[in-house]
Amino acid sequence: MDRFERIKAAIALDVPDRTPVMPIMSAFAARHAGIKQAEAWRDPEKAFQSLLYTFQALEHCDMLARTNMMFPMIGSKFHNAPVRHRIPGKHLPEDALNQIDEVELFSRDDYDKIAALGWNGFWEEHYPKISGRTMDSLATKQSHLLNIYVKQVKVCHEQGIPVLVGVAVDSVLMAFSLCRTMTNFTMDLFEVPHKVKQAMDASCDDMIQNAFETLAVTKIPFAWIVLERGSAAIYRLELFEEFEWPYLQRYVDAFVSAGVTPWMHLDTDWGGNLAYFRQLPKGKCVADLDGTTDIFKAKEILKDHMCISGDVPAATLSMGTQKDVRDYCKRLIDIVGRGGGFFLTTGCECPIDAKFENVKTMVDMVINDSGKV
Amino acid sequence: MSSPILDAFLSMNRPKVIDLVQNEIEQGTDPFVVLQECQAAMEEVGRRFESGEFFLSELIYSAEVFKAISPSLEKKLAEYRDERDSLGPIVFGTPLGDIHDLGKNLVITFMRANGFVVHDLGVDVPPEKFIDALRETNAPILALSGLITPALLSMKEVIELLKIHGLRDKTLVLIGGAVTTDLACRETGADRRGADAVAAVTLCKKHLESMNARIGGRTLAATRS
Repeated sequence: MDRFERIKAAIALDVPDRTPVMPIMSAFAARHAGIKQAEAWRDPEKAFQSLLYTFQALEHCDMLARTNMMFPMIGSKFHNAPVRHRIPGKHLPEDALNQIDEVELFSRDDYDKIAALGWNGFWEEHYPKISGRTMDSLATKQSHLLNIYVKQVKVCHEQGIPVLVGVAVDSVLMAFSLCRTMTNFTMDLFEVPHKVKQAMDASCDDMIQNAFETLAVTKIPFAWIVLERGSAAIYRLELFEEFEWPYLQRYVDAFVSAGVTPWMHLDTDWGGNLAYFRQLPKGKCVADLDGTTDIFKAKEILKDHMCISGDVPAATLSMGTQKDVRDYCKRLIDIVGRGGGFFLTTGCECPIDAKFENVKTMVDMVINDSGKV
Repeated sequence: MSSPILDAFLSMNRPKVIDLVQNEIEQGTDPFVVLQECQAAMEEVGRRFESGEFFLSELIYSAEVFKAISPSLEKKLAEYRDERDSLGPIVFGTPLGDIHDLGKNLVITFMRANGFVVHDLGVDVPPEKFIDALRETNAPILALSGLITPALLSMKEVIELLKIHGLRDKTLVLIGGAVTTDLACRETGADRRGADAVAAVTLCKKHLESMNARIGGRTLAATRS
């Protein structure tokens, strides 16, 4: 099997020739290649070369998550909340990790406006006010970054390297939580739930449409859906059922109908929600776990229904030994990988300060005896 | 035991809690009694979180309610209350390289609601600042929060510095945050990992209880000051 076939088999719950593997990396690759984070942010080509270099150095990787550092920013209009990034070399030291500076982007009073104007209509009016930029300048910048991304994806495909992110789209709840801040959004859910609901109802279709506009350009059949804040670790199931699940179902229906695989990036503990995921189309989606959800229980729940991706913990890769990594990956491959439907990846992003030998150990696990499905 | 303030807390009704507290203060109720009622409510929220009845969202909501009523109570209490009335001081911060504070702020509110005096150093805190704060406050507990792995390396550095300055044996080091696994606890050299705000408070209380037992029941703050 080539890489594309192996990935396709794992997602379709068929049995691949071996477990596919992907460290989800960007900052780690830049550091491994010896370039400062700021340099990688300033120059997408340098970032791309660092990713290719590290991909080759790791030898047996099956996929790149993306081609440069700009992953949250690619796209047209707003399929992600326009959060404020702290960028190395600009707001942070040259070799620091980029971070999100979570501030309130719209107020509680704005829910009515969103309900009336929709997500796109609201941002066309609101974004220039909070950013000082025009929508035209934003579109030009986004288009420029997207063109770079598309060219880099083409190079990857010519080298037989699949790229995951066709579009990165926040779940509706995730986008609202980021825009209000998690604390304020939580207060809103308790105090003005009907206003939140009306605004979400008016936003979901716009966000799906925005995602499709980007997919039309990247032509990569994967939608990376950011789901970090709707889990049962945070909200009781009644809230999940009202404010996360119906919109996620609409996302998944839209993407799957168009032949796009929803890659659900599930940070935090989703153990209490996974039974719902069995209602999503069989063999068409990926549940990407970050090391917080019990992945072994997730296998019991999603077995024979959904491919699971995960979940070597960041702390193990940056502070653990090769034995720690080997032991954990062996359990993953033996238990979660049994019978297929498993993609060995890092729990969320490969940490900037991961030890190279640890990441290499993780990747190598798929080609020794343990990697056989 | 039911009370209007407790009921308002547990039904996640911020305006009602604020009104009730304000009324109590205006009617001349001893502010300590009002504070104790609010603290009892926060403890009950914590118990319900531990039992699985409440979720993180209820902790976040209750913490915001507690923060909303704190200024009016503190104003009344400030005249005759000091650290000797508290369970004890804690130094808390997000170490160098990490600017996230959501988890830290939530845990701090719960610690304060449970009677600790928390010295919040903020985010992206250089190691030396933790040492200075521990010396200034005589705090027996250092809490470090982190969302990304660079925070783990900084935590390790802080703990090494504690050893150099002779503070390690006197200080319980508690870590928490998304990247803090058991392995991270072991590798940073921390003592314990707090899985959530309620667990962190419980660990701190247990530590102080064992300290107080060792020093013969005298209050911690009185002994260390």
